[in-house]
Amino acid sequence: MYNLGTVFSFEFIRTIKKKSFWIMSILFPVIIGVVFAIEYFSNQTTMQATEDTAGQVFSIEITDQSGLINNDIASAFGAKISADKQASINKVANGQLDACFFYPDNLDKNTVEVYAKDVGIFNNSRYQSVATTILQQSIAPIVDAETTAILKNSVVYNSTTYRNGKQSNSIKELIAPGIFLVLFYILIVMFGNQMLTSTTEEKENRVTEMILTTIDAKTLIVGKILSLIALAFVQVLAILIPIILAYILFRNQLALPNFDLSNIPIDPIRVSIAAAIFAFSFLLFTGLLVAIGAIAPTAKEAGSFFGIIMIFLFGPLYAVTLFVSMPDSPIVRFLSFFPLTAPIPLMLRNAVGNLAISDAIIGIVILMISSVVALSIAVRLFRYGVLQYSSRLSLSVLLSKSKK
Amino acid sequence: MKVNSQKRDAVVSIKHFRMDFGKKTVVKDLSFDVYKGEVFGFLGSNGSGKTTTIRALLGLYQPTDGKLLINNEPFSVSSKIKLGYLPEERGLYKKESVIDTMVYFGRLKGLSKTDAKKRAENFLERVNLTDKTNLRLDKLSGGEQQKIQLGITVMNNPDILILDEPTKGFDPVNRRLLMNIIEEHQKAGATVIFVTHQMEEVERLCDRAILLKNGTAYAYGTITEIKEKFGGASLDDIFIKVYGDENNAEENQ
Repeated sequence: MYNLGTVFSFEFIRTIKKKSFWIMSILFPVIIGVVFAIEYFSNQTTMQATEDTAGQVFSIEITDQSGLINNDIASAFGAKISADKQASINKVANGQLDACFFYPDNLDKNTVEVYAKDVGIFNNSRYQSVATTILQQSIAPIVDAETTAILKNSVVYNSTTYRNGKQSNSIKELIAPGIFLVLFYILIVMFGNQMLTSTTEEKENRVTEMILTTIDAKTLIVGKILSLIALAFVQVLAILIPIILAYILFRNQLALPNFDLSNIPIDPIRVSIAAAIFAFSFLLFTGLLVAIGAIAPTAKEAGSFFGIIMIFLFGPLYAVTLFVSMPDSPIVRFLSFFPLTAPIPLMLRNAVGNLAISDAIIGIVILMISSVVALSIAVRLFRYGVLQYSSRLSLSVLLSKSKK
Repeated sequence: MKVNSQKRDAVVSIKHFRMDFGKKTVVKDLSFDVYKGEVFGFLGSNGSGKTTTIRALLGLYQPTDGKLLINNEPFSVSSKIKLGYLPEERGLYKKESVIDTMVYFGRLKGLSKTDAKKRAENFLERVNLTDKTNLRLDKLSGGEQQKIQLGITVMNNPDILILDEPTKGFDPVNRRLLMNIIEEHQKAGATVIFVTHQMEEVERLCDRAILLKNGTAYAYGTITEIKEKFGGASLDDIFIKVYGDENNAEENQ
């Protein structure tokens, strides 16, 4: 592995110097921040709108066939009772009324009709809010408080669970091993393309011959992979540090929940399993993407293979409920042990606590062997595929080389 | 066919080299030696197997048969041979700066960072590209990029210099500059293998040469011996005589 350090530092420094690397790194927390900000301002606006609506008096007419609407409550909202639904609709259409509501009989089967003046996409919903409030307040005296709460869908549940005779908290226990799953997803999404182009670059730039007469292919590939891992580490820090700082500095303003990190349970066995699955999954997919880069003549052509790999990798997310609820079903076991699909099911099952130790060991061994095989094939493909500047490396050429 | 059996130190020795790509045989049975300190011309028409032979010699291709040795052993990057190779396929890391690329290759060739930087700067000064030191390679012209690649090839003062069509794309001024650089390295003791179509360059620089045709050695020896074999004609005329039929046949197909 002579020159490994030279390759590592060259690949690391030239990537870290690129603006695109930092743009990607900064963009992720910025997007998260924007989403939080939108949610915060949306909440503020909604609260303000509700306060505004409460103080406003609209011109409303109500046609009630349900017999549930209380006239006093309707009057409190400025509404008058109308016997002629169509006449009220016409008044709204002519601009004489802000809104009219029609409460049909059999509310469980028929829908409440709301007709209102168009006051813009963000304000139109306020009339429906008024119609709902009038109905809810009207029925409150008729039914008991319990039924009202059920109707309002506002019952709060508090669950307590037990495992092996001890009180457990599945959600909190999921956090530590689950971080590896999130990390893996972020790294593949952000670095997949870079892994792919790390080997097509030599080919596209016609620099392969000079490189391979100077340095061993294995050293070059290992150097590239190590630099990718180091870059991934830098990028994770670049993502996490602003998020943590934003949480600490703006937690109160954004009304974020108060996470007490000391309360997060850390099960050393599950965390170790998650770390092992994460490491070998990352190596496996790095090897696969490097191999694809080696056989495809251009980054563009490699991209279509990349899509197939991503389908295998993230396809299991569609069966996420199965992994949680039916861990012993044949399909879950197959997806957990088939190398290309294994990372997500294994990490997810480990996070939710239904991955048996024996299954974890089998999964880790499969991923370990697969990653070693993938990396060996990647080196071999790079060695023989890089001189195929304009065409894809064919299987027959590869096999004929392998015989020697 | 081997016509020269002089006893000298063979730096490069190729014995019964055969190379098949699937059912196609590119090189049939090629044997020749390149001696220490000489400039050796490697001649042939397009597709005659020159680049294939060089790639097999440098371990980039696995030969179908035969032995290809440098200093009596198959070449590998770990064999500590000071090699300078300018391939026919030109290219560098286009988005990197001139100096970073040269230093990187210098380091891969075993130079310290300081030494690599110093040699790179000296070369850039020599070829009037000092003002391009920190520019990205894709901001340079094709000819300038070729000069950088030549600089990388020679920056470790190689004992063996293999140049595959080095003057391709150079104007006469830069071609002369390149010839001077090759001569300097030969005078410093380097063995040079020179793959080219430029016969005047062969006559000027080469001690001996080989002409490849149909995957075998059609003529091999000193420049004088080759000329005598063809009745004292110039190398240009010999080239046209040997390969003209091939080109005519291709045109008629």
